[in-house]
Amino acid sequence: MKEKRKGPIGIAADLAQGFSATMRRMQREREPRLLVYDETGYARLVQPDGRGYERLLESAEQMVALVAQAEAEREPRRPRAGRDSLAEEDDA
Amino acid sequence: MTPALTPAATAERLCELSTEVRAAVLLDAAGVPAAVHGVPREASNELAELARGLFEAVDRAHRDLPGGPPEQVEVQVDGGAVYASRTSRWTLAAVARRTALSSLTLMDLRAVLGELEDGRPIRRSTAAGERTAAEPATEEAAANESPIPELGQEP
Repeated sequence: MKEKRKGPIGIAADLAQGFSATMRRMQREREPRLLVYDETGYARLVQPDGRGYERLLESAEQMVALVAQAEAEREPRRPRAGRDSLAEEDDA
Repeated sequence: MTPALTPAATAERLCELSTEVRAAVLLDAAGVPAAVHGVPREASNELAELARGLFEAVDRAHRDLPGGPPEQVEVQVDGGAVYASRTSRWTLAAVARRTALSSLTLMDLRAVLGELEDGRPIRRSTAAGERTAAEPATEEAAANESPIPELGQEP
């Protein structure tokens, strides 16, 4: 069993460990992931050096970008708070 | 009786069913878009083209899998995820949020395709909390409640 470190160095080490684990998890979540499923639902992970990986990834990225752009255009533009709104008030 | 799902309403149905889905496109067996939802009309052909390319890439690369050609695809990328499912007649592709749960989203895709092909309506349940908010709980109502809601009211 791993012995638990005590004292301020132990606390600092635990914090650093937790931080690095969070960073690793966040990086893993951002990484692209490709899966194909056969008719029985069996999943296969497509490896980065696998056939079709680049093309699949490219298509998916373009689809996500297209939808993000459509959503951005759909959202009503809000007036910027701060200098612009103050200038409008001054004009009035 | 609920009306049967039409191809033209399929993409919208998926977006309505799955809150994590932002846009969807339905293609027929020839790859022609039958319905697009979530993007403006001018971008719908581009989305359909990309969805078609998705399965073309899969078929080119993974045709020889032991379980047969893939029926579903999941691609997680930065900023979102793409899910696609197909039958012999239809291909349904969806762009979802990165937070979407893969198994649930793929199940929604299959359920909508099932409703389109076989006319099986998707059974939706309301949460107990929602129901009690609408109807005040009484002892009489509780006595009439079936322990197995799927079987309906007991005689």
